[in-house]
Amino acid sequence: MEGIRIGVFICWCGTNIARIVDIEAVTKEAEDFPNVVISKNYKYLCSDPGQDLIIQDIRDHNLNRVVVAACSPNIHEKTFRKVLEKAEINGYFLEIVNIREQVSWVHDDGDEATRKATALIRAAVFRVKHHEALFKRTVNIIPTTLIIGGGISGINAALEIADAGRDVFLVEKKNKLGGIAANLDLSYPYMTNMGDMLDPLIDRVLSHLHITLFLGSEIKYILGYIGNFETTVYSGNNKQTEIVFGNVIIATGLKPFDPGNIEEYGYGKFPNVFTSLEFERILKSGKITTREGKDPGNITIIHCVGSRNERFHEYCSHTCCMTALKYAYQIKSELPYANVFDIYSDMRSFGKGCEEFYTKVSRKNVRFFLFNQENGLPKIVKGGDHSDCDMLVELDEKITGKKIGIPTDMVILMVGMEAHGDARDIAHLAGISTCKNNFFIEKHPKLDPVATSTDGVYIIGSCQGPKDISESIAQARAAAARILGVVSQGYVPVEPITAEVNEDICCGCKTCLKVCPYTAIRYDLVKKVSYVNEILCKGCGTCSSACSTGAIRCKHFTDKQILSQIEGLFSTSIEV
Amino acid sequence: MREIINPDLYVNLKQFGAKEWNDCYQCGNCTAICSLTESKLLFPRKPIRFLQMGLKNELEACLEPWMCYYCGECSEKCPRDANPGELMMILRRYLTAAYDWIGLARRIYSSKTWEFVLIFILSALVLLLFIFFHGPLTTELTPEGGVQLNVFAPANIIHIGDMIMAGLLSFFLLSNIFNMYLKTIRRKNIKVPFKLYIKELWLLIFNFAFQWKFRKCDARFYWIIHLLLVSGYVTLFVIIVGFLTWFQTDQIFEWWHPQRIIGYYATITLLLGVIYFIIGRIKKSGERSKYSHISDWTFLVMLFLTILSGILVHIFRITGLPMLTYVMYVLHLMVLTPMLMIEVPFSKWSHLAYRPFAIYFSNIIKSTIRTENSPSECT
Repeated sequence: MEGIRIGVFICWCGTNIARIVDIEAVTKEAEDFPNVVISKNYKYLCSDPGQDLIIQDIRDHNLNRVVVAACSPNIHEKTFRKVLEKAEINGYFLEIVNIREQVSWVHDDGDEATRKATALIRAAVFRVKHHEALFKRTVNIIPTTLIIGGGISGINAALEIADAGRDVFLVEKKNKLGGIAANLDLSYPYMTNMGDMLDPLIDRVLSHLHITLFLGSEIKYILGYIGNFETTVYSGNNKQTEIVFGNVIIATGLKPFDPGNIEEYGYGKFPNVFTSLEFERILKSGKITTREGKDPGNITIIHCVGSRNERFHEYCSHTCCMTALKYAYQIKSELPYANVFDIYSDMRSFGKGCEEFYTKVSRKNVRFFLFNQENGLPKIVKGGDHSDCDMLVELDEKITGKKIGIPTDMVILMVGMEAHGDARDIAHLAGISTCKNNFFIEKHPKLDPVATSTDGVYIIGSCQGPKDISESIAQARAAAARILGVVSQGYVPVEPITAEVNEDICCGCKTCLKVCPYTAIRYDLVKKVSYVNEILCKGCGTCSSACSTGAIRCKHFTDKQILSQIEGLFSTSIEV
Repeated sequence: MREIINPDLYVNLKQFGAKEWNDCYQCGNCTAICSLTESKLLFPRKPIRFLQMGLKNELEACLEPWMCYYCGECSEKCPRDANPGELMMILRRYLTAAYDWIGLARRIYSSKTWEFVLIFILSALVLLLFIFFHGPLTTELTPEGGVQLNVFAPANIIHIGDMIMAGLLSFFLLSNIFNMYLKTIRRKNIKVPFKLYIKELWLLIFNFAFQWKFRKCDARFYWIIHLLLVSGYVTLFVIIVGFLTWFQTDQIFEWWHPQRIIGYYATITLLLGVIYFIIGRIKKSGERSKYSHISDWTFLVMLFLTILSGILVHIFRITGLPMLTYVMYVLHLMVLTPMLMIEVPFSKWSHLAYRPFAIYFSNIIKSTIRTENSPSECT
C-alpha cells in the first residue's frame, strides 16, 4: 500500500515487560518490518512523557499508523486512541499488542517471550495498514422515560426523574402500587412502619404532573434504540396507548419462593406453617395468633427456605436473616412469654445497623439453633404424644451434633426471592440478558451495576438479584441520575465499530437475525435483505462470522485486516 | 435417639439463681481460657449450650459443672457478659437437685421458706429432745474446776444420736450418688468393665481428700484455704461420729494432749476458712464471690455459728460455768444438726461427694470409651 507510514512503540511497563522480553532486540527487529518508519521503546508509554513521545514522532515522521506494544487494550486502548487524535490522525489507525498479560506475565523463558512479542508486533504491523478511519456519531435523546414495575424501586426512580421535571411513564402489572414492600409491616433494622414510608410516596406518584401512570397494564415489545424507543401499553378494557421514550428502567422485582414443593416443611399440610409474607399479613392484622385463633406459645422460624441449597437455589436471598430477626423481635414484644426458636444455617446480618439489631434480638432470649444444609433440612412432623404442641420440628443441631425435636405451635418459613416466571420474556423484549437464576445481568458487576449491555436500558431492585429496600432505592436513584444526565445533554455518542451489510451480496437468509444477541438486525421486506441498526449494534462480530455469503462485514474487524494479521504472525521464523 | 427439647428448662434454672441464661452466643472463649477443661469434658460452653437448647437429659448427664472450681476467668473474658462461671455454679445447684430423688433439694434451693422451716423443725426437734431427755443439771464442778457436761448429756447417748444422723446422711447422699450414676454412666449406654470401677477408685479417695483438680484451677491460695477447711471438717466429723466418748470428756487435759490439740487444729482451720469465705462474699472480691445465692449464705452462717457455739461450750466448760455450758451445748447441736442434715445431702455441702464422684465417673467413662475405640482406631 502506498503512503503507509507506521510507527512501532514498545513499552517496558517498568519491569513488568522488560524483565522477560528483550525490548531492545524487539525494537531493532521491528525497524525492518514493512512500512515501519520508526521503532522506539519507552519505560511507561501511558505516562504523559510517553504519550508526548508518540505525538512528537507522529508529527516529526509524518506517521499515519501506530502500533503500541504494551498492556491489554482493555486498559489503555482508549488512552492511545486519544493520543492519535491529539496528533490529528484518526484514533482507529491504532493497533495495540498485548505483550504484558499475553507475553511477559505468562512466560518464564526470555527467548521464547521475545520471539512471541516480535511475532505479535509483526502481525499488528501487517494488520494496522488495512485500518480504516472510523467516526463517532451521536443519537438524540427523547427526554421521556419508561419505568416497568411500580414497586418501591420503580416508584422511587419515577419520582426522582419526575421531580427533575422530566416525564415518566410508569407501567404496573397489578392494580395497585407498592409491590412487595406494600405487604410489609415494619422494616428492619430500625422498625419503622413500612406504610408510613410508602404511602406518601404512592400519593405523590398518583398526583405528580410529570408521571403518567398505567395500572393493570403490560407491555409486550420495545422497539428502537437508546434515545428513541417506542412501545404500546396494553391496559384493561383492551385500551392501547402508543408511547415513545428515550430510556427504560426495568423494575419488575421478585417472586417469593414457593415452599409447597419442599416436602420436609409440610407447607399446605399443616395449617400453622406460614411463609414470611403470610406472617407479615398476620403482623399487620395487629395480633399474632394461630389459625385456630390461639396465642402461640412456641414459634419456630426456619431460615434459608429455598435459598443456599442446591435442590432449590444456590444463592442467598439476602434479606431473610434480618427479616427473621425482625419477626423474633416483634413476637417477643407482643408475646414476651412465647418461646421463639430460630433455626438458621448462617446468620447474615450485614449492613448498617444490622449486626447491632442481631445483638439486640439475641438478648431477648431467642433460642438459636444451627443446622447444616448439607445434612438435610429440618423436618416438620405431627406433634404426637411428646408435647401439647401440634407440630414438632426435627433437626440435627450442628453445634452439639444432637438430634432434637422442637415442639411448636407455629412455623414461619423464611422464603427466599426468585426471578419472575416471565423474566426471560421481559429480558428478550428489552434486549438484555439473564443469569442462570433468571435475574437480569448488569453491564458490569462492580463498575456499572444499574446499566445493561443495551444502551438506554437500566435494571434496578430485585429483578437484578435479591435486594433489600434501601439497596433497591439506591439503585433506583442511581439509574435516575444516569438517565437525567443523558437527557440533559440531549444526545449520546455511539460506538463506530459496528457490522454493515453489503446489500448486493446478502441473500436474505435471515441467519444473522437469529444470532444477533442485541436484536440489532432487521429484515427489509422490500429489498429482501438484512440491515443493521448501527445504534443497537455492539460490533460483536457474531453475524459476520455466521453469514454464509460474506455479506456482513464488521468494521475494524474486516476479513482483510484479520487475514493480514495472521499472515504477519506466520511470516516470522517461528521454530516449532 | 431424638430428644424433645424442653423450652421451659431455663425457668427451672431461674429457681437456682440464674438471671440471664441466654446471653451466650457460643464463641467458646470461656472453654478456651479454662485451665481445667479437657477434650472430652468441655465446659463451660457445652453445658451452657444444652441449657440454652433445653436439652434436660443431656444437661443432667453432664459431669462437667463439677470439674469447675470457679476461678472466674471465663466470666472476666466473656465478650457478652454471659457469666459462664456463675452459670456453672448455678448448674451445680441444679444438678444437686436433679440427683436428689426425694425432691427436697429443689425445694430448699428454690424457696427460702422451705429452707428456713426445715432448719427450724430440726432445731426444734433437737431442743425438744433435750428438754425431755436431758440429764441432771448439776452445778457441781469436777476436781479441776470444769463442768460435768457428761452428766447433762452423756457422750455415749449423744454418740448414738450422731450415729443415727450419720446413717441418715449416708443413706440420702449415697442414694443420690446412685441416681447420679444412673443419669450419667448408665444413660450413656456403654459397657463399663467392672475392674475399671476398682481401678479408678483411688481417684475418688484422692480427690476427696486433696481436691487435686482444684489445685490446677488458677486460684492456688483459694485451694489451700479450702484444703485446710476440709481437713478441719473431716477431722471433727470423724471424731464426733466415731470417737465422741474420747472427745467429749469432763476431765480437762493438759493443752498438749491430743484431744485438745486436734480439737484446736480443727477449730482454727474451720474458723479461718469460714471467715475468709464470708469476707470474700461481703466484699464481693473476685468473680466467684460476686454472686451469692441464699444457700451460700445459709451454709456459711450456720457453719460459723456451729464453730462459735462449739468454742463457747469449750470455754464455759473449762472455766466452770455449768448453766452457760449446758445452754450453749444445746444451741451448738441445734445449729449443727440441721446444718449437716440439710447441707450435706440436699444442698451446698453435697459437693464434697459429687465433685470426687464426678471425677471418678468421668474417668471411668473416658477409659471405657478409649478401650472401646482403640481397636477401631488402629484399623
